[in-house]
Amino acid sequence: MKDFLFNLASKMDHSKNYNKTKIFIYNILNNPDNILKKYLDLFIIFLIISSVAILIYEVKHPVPHWMDLYDIYFVSFIFLIEYLLRLWVVDDMRKGILEEHRESKYLNRKFSPITPIKKSLSKKLNYMLTPEAIIDLLAIFPAYRPLRVLRLFVLFRVLKLLRYSKNIKQFIEVLSNKKFELLTLLLLLIFVDITAGIALYVLEEQINPNINSLFDALYWSLVTISTVGYGDISPVTHEGRVISMLIIVSGIAMISFATSVIVSAFSEKLNELKENRIIEQINKNKKFLIICGYGQLAKMFLRQERSIEHNYIILEKDQEKVDHAISDGYDAIKADASRHETLSKFAVNHAEVTVLCLTNSDIENIYITLNAKIVNPTMQVIARANNSNLYKKFIRAGADHILMPNNVANTMLLSAISQPVMHKAIYAILTGKNIVHIDEIILYEHNSLIGKKVSDIDFKAIKLLLIGIQRGKNTPFILNPSSSEVFQENDIVLMMGRKVSHSYFKEIYQDYSV
Amino acid sequence: MKKKAYIFGYGSHGRAIADGLKKEAFEILILESNEKDYKESIADGFESTKLIDVTKDELLEELMIEDDDQVICVMNDEHLNVFLTLSLRSLYPNSFILSISDSTHTTQKLKKAGADKVISLYEVSANRIHNILKRPTTTKLLDDFITEHSDISFREMKVPDNSVFDGTMIDDLDFSQYAILLVGMIDEEVSHDFLFLTAGIEHKIDAGDTLVCIGRDEDLAKFEKTIHIKKDLKWK
Repeated sequence: MKDFLFNLASKMDHSKNYNKTKIFIYNILNNPDNILKKYLDLFIIFLIISSVAILIYEVKHPVPHWMDLYDIYFVSFIFLIEYLLRLWVVDDMRKGILEEHRESKYLNRKFSPITPIKKSLSKKLNYMLTPEAIIDLLAIFPAYRPLRVLRLFVLFRVLKLLRYSKNIKQFIEVLSNKKFELLTLLLLLIFVDITAGIALYVLEEQINPNINSLFDALYWSLVTISTVGYGDISPVTHEGRVISMLIIVSGIAMISFATSVIVSAFSEKLNELKENRIIEQINKNKKFLIICGYGQLAKMFLRQERSIEHNYIILEKDQEKVDHAISDGYDAIKADASRHETLSKFAVNHAEVTVLCLTNSDIENIYITLNAKIVNPTMQVIARANNSNLYKKFIRAGADHILMPNNVANTMLLSAISQPVMHKAIYAILTGKNIVHIDEIILYEHNSLIGKKVSDIDFKAIKLLLIGIQRGKNTPFILNPSSSEVFQENDIVLMMGRKVSHSYFKEIYQDYSV
Repeated sequence: MKKKAYIFGYGSHGRAIADGLKKEAFEILILESNEKDYKESIADGFESTKLIDVTKDELLEELMIEDDDQVICVMNDEHLNVFLTLSLRSLYPNSFILSISDSTHTTQKLKKAGADKVISLYEVSANRIHNILKRPTTTKLLDDFITEHSDISFREMKVPDNSVFDGTMIDDLDFSQYAILLVGMIDEEVSHDFLFLTAGIEHKIDAGDTLVCIGRDEDLAKFEKTIHIKKDLKWK
């Protein structure tokens, strides 16, 4: 038996298909990034809604037989499979067995698969006892028609929807933070309810015709505490009325307490929830900017963003500035960009992220640069350096571009004085205000330009001026390439001309891979 | 004759500008109201430095700034800078006043005070970020032109009287033999504005036109020499 278990475990462990399937199923059930999970979720949501709809429809109308069959067998069957699969992927039993086998071999101990199996089973049991799993289990039971109460099991299917709604999940999360307070309150409620119920039962059971059992008394007590007060059962003796007066007062206290607990739980978490929502939203984009610091430069940058070409998020440490940014209409959250957790919240692996370090402090900017490069080296970093002596430090920290506002302004002024024509030219090119500007094309794989000679292409005919080619990051720029130069993959080609020429050129030599 | 440049303020901006202009063979006059900065400017080797109270009009009047002179207002104190611009404008209505501003509010005030060109620090920097995001290679290249990190640069050249190029059509010229690129020109026949070559108009080069070229410094220098070859000399 032991050997059999061990053989089975090792066989499973070695089987590629088995592992693949298990990982696949795990992803499809639990990994939010999986594409198929979305469809599976939608399918299950559909099953739930249709099943509940049948229950409601059935109250007044006879349902066709196939619908019954669908509800009882098909839906339940799918739910059963889902439940079992979820249970299956909770833990890998075989790994425990193999580990135990290895250990016992090493220690010359007798191999017994019982402990690992126990461990694994207890893990599975723990899973089964989670509210989610219990709801899943109860949702399997078909709405057994003859027994009315069992029909309500369909409602567990509604609860199953919780799994698929993020909002409700967050709601429960928030409440679970106040577990202690809420539990205390619940205990108090039960205590008062039972005491008052018993008291009324003892006092009025004989006199009051509406109270026939302890259950009636407890029911009355709860209705009164909650200040709902149906009035179907009411005390008739003085003693009973005194009790109800007392529990009404305590009931009001308890309700206001409960309200305040829930409200404070939310107000504590509200900002965090909002910020998470903003981060989630930005993570959906393929390309976005993380702007660190909301100062003058960031403001100016965003103001110049005439048409919103970039998706962005502002990270700012100072709450006052965050509020300012939000009131200016920008998406901002209070976060410290120099912390690892902050930047790793973003989908840096799936998206093209550019970090703009625009805070006033150079030290802060260097720190953020380093942090971004540690979180993910593929992130592009544009850093602001107020002190030009720090240029080398920024390079060392890994900044891709370094922006020195003072230098930019100074050189601008200088060139305006000493080389006015060139100043105008560069300014026009950079601001794009002129009809002519420089555009660059990156030659990705399959671009039809690759392999062609410069002389093969008649730039003059489409009124473009080929300025040069940047080949690779560290090689010097090839200015005015000779006519025999051949375009290569990943070249960046710089050309000058009007917009129409650029777009026409792109049209002719487009990327065929797209 | 050397061009004159008056620099008001020897702060961080003033320093960099004075340094840059020194290389460009300008006659530099530095005016500072702060004694410490004044001393530093002398220590840095600028001879024509003056310590004056820029709020006094009669002192400014004594400077006798001429219409062709460049006036650069880069005082550390923004308020003083605006005030100075205003005084200078009223004293010298025709000189060219440039200034750098650190915020949007100041930009507007400087313009209102009469500065001919105001470079807004944050505006140009923000613009730079946009360019880096949109056209990284171009930006880097142009950056290098200005900061002299590379040996490639822009150069503007005036076509002298009687040059070999006088009267030639641009299309007839083969710039590739000079290993430079002609980017554009100011064709005095057409207008005083800079025209990009690719605008698609036929231009004739005349004496007095300005050509703007990109190239390696040595090639540019060679080309500049070629321009200056006199027509008649060539035939000799």
